Amino acid sequence: MEMTFEPIWDSIIAWYLFLAGLGGGAFATSAFLHWRHPHAVTMRKIGHLIAPIAVAVGLVLLMFDAKGGLFHPWRFALLLHNPFSVMTWGVVFLACFMVVSIIVLVMDILKKSVPRWLEIVGAVFGVCVAMYTGALLGVCKTFPLWNTALLPILFLVSAMSAGAASVLLTAIFKHPEEFNRAGVLKKFHFCLPIIELVLVAVLLFITAYNSTAGFSSVWSLVAGQWAPLFWIGLVAVGLVLPTVLECWLLFFSPKEFEESRKAHYISAASDAAVLVGGFLLRFLIVMAALPVTIS
Amino acid sequence: MTRYGMLINTKKCIGCFACRTACQRQNGLLPDEDFIRYEEHVNGSYPNVRIETVPLQCMHCADAPCANVCPTGATHISPDGIVLVDHGRCIGCKYCMAACPYQVRAFNEKEGIADKCRFCTVSASEGGTKMCTCVEACITGARVFGDLDDPDSEVSRQIKELNAQPIKGDLTDVSVFYVR
Repeated sequence: MEMTFEPIWDSIIAWYLFLAGLGGGAFATSAFLHWRHPHAVTMRKIGHLIAPIAVAVGLVLLMFDAKGGLFHPWRFALLLHNPFSVMTWGVVFLACFMVVSIIVLVMDILKKSVPRWLEIVGAVFGVCVAMYTGALLGVCKTFPLWNTALLPILFLVSAMSAGAASVLLTAIFKHPEEFNRAGVLKKFHFCLPIIELVLVAVLLFITAYNSTAGFSSVWSLVAGQWAPLFWIGLVAVGLVLPTVLECWLLFFSPKEFEESRKAHYISAASDAAVLVGGFLLRFLIVMAALPVTIS
Repeated sequence: MTRYGMLINTKKCIGCFACRTACQRQNGLLPDEDFIRYEEHVNGSYPNVRIETVPLQCMHCADAPCANVCPTGATHISPDGIVLVDHGRCIGCKYCMAACPYQVRAFNEKEGIADKCRFCTVSASEGGTKMCTCVEACITGARVFGDLDDPDSEVSRQIKELNAQPIKGDLTDVSVFYVR
């Protein structure tokens, strides 16, 4: 049942996948805020600030992990060589996203109004960045846990969830009044971990039935080496806890309590838990994948 | 056209790892860098049991997944069917290592690049240079090398005669065939 395998990528890549998704999600959250909560100007700017920083930190991690490029930086210029590689597409999406998100950030700093079309373009590239991270792993036939069209969808949902959580978490401390009035965003944000939970369950069921290696990978998550981190970290803390806390705050607690400082701290804990879950999802999927049996 | 390929007969393999040692010496690899890895199986049940050592290395796939995913074009396929790495283009992203279903790409920690079997035995046979490749090092003659497109070559004849097969069905379009 248990197979030993040294994973090809490790936590550095998991951090990158998480931060790239978070950045894309934060920018998309800002665009959403402009549409549904136009008064929440500070929150919008928080998203615009988080987006390029998160993705840039992720890219620095990526460059440190790619040793051949780190030792010979000009080799990174060759990255657009193969149009059939998902990584090449990722580089295009990341470059476009960085350019747009930095322009938007500079416009915010200069107090210029950001045109709606630029926000939409940035949000589209944010979605592309989030989804490509799933496709990057998804095209590898080697690992049944990755080799499924579900992965880009799962990573997209998780990215939007983490991005929104980062904006909401910062807003609780920087601008609680705007946070109180961002009801539609909070309701959407509440739904995402539930969708994610369903997608994780489906991914595991399908992978377990797909091959021996798929079964071993799933087994290592639910009952093997990664089980404590999977059940406690990802499922309980990352997905169920935010769902329970937000469900209670949004639908069952009295309105006065929802806007109290105590409720804000509960919301902050829920958003922090979403971020922990977002990282652990990438980490566990990177680490638990076992290769197909060959001979 | 020439398409180089190999036959590996696990019935002849005694698991001495001489091929790997020769490969490391011939290609100047780091002590922890292997182009050949081994899987061991216990086949049959007592008392009719056989231990089978399966040497695995780059299959030089015509549809190489590692070359398909390589973003810089460092991994490419030569006209005679050899999957090669241009060291000067490799950024060490390890995408090829994730994409190779046979898990036979090796990382060079010193240079930070992902390397692999170079089919160096080709240059040995083409140029007539004296080299100690995996084929020559094998003390039982478990490895046969040659042109798959030439029906009269030793490798083509043995593949036909011994009904050699790809290690894993049609997972990829391989140039290395196994007798098991």
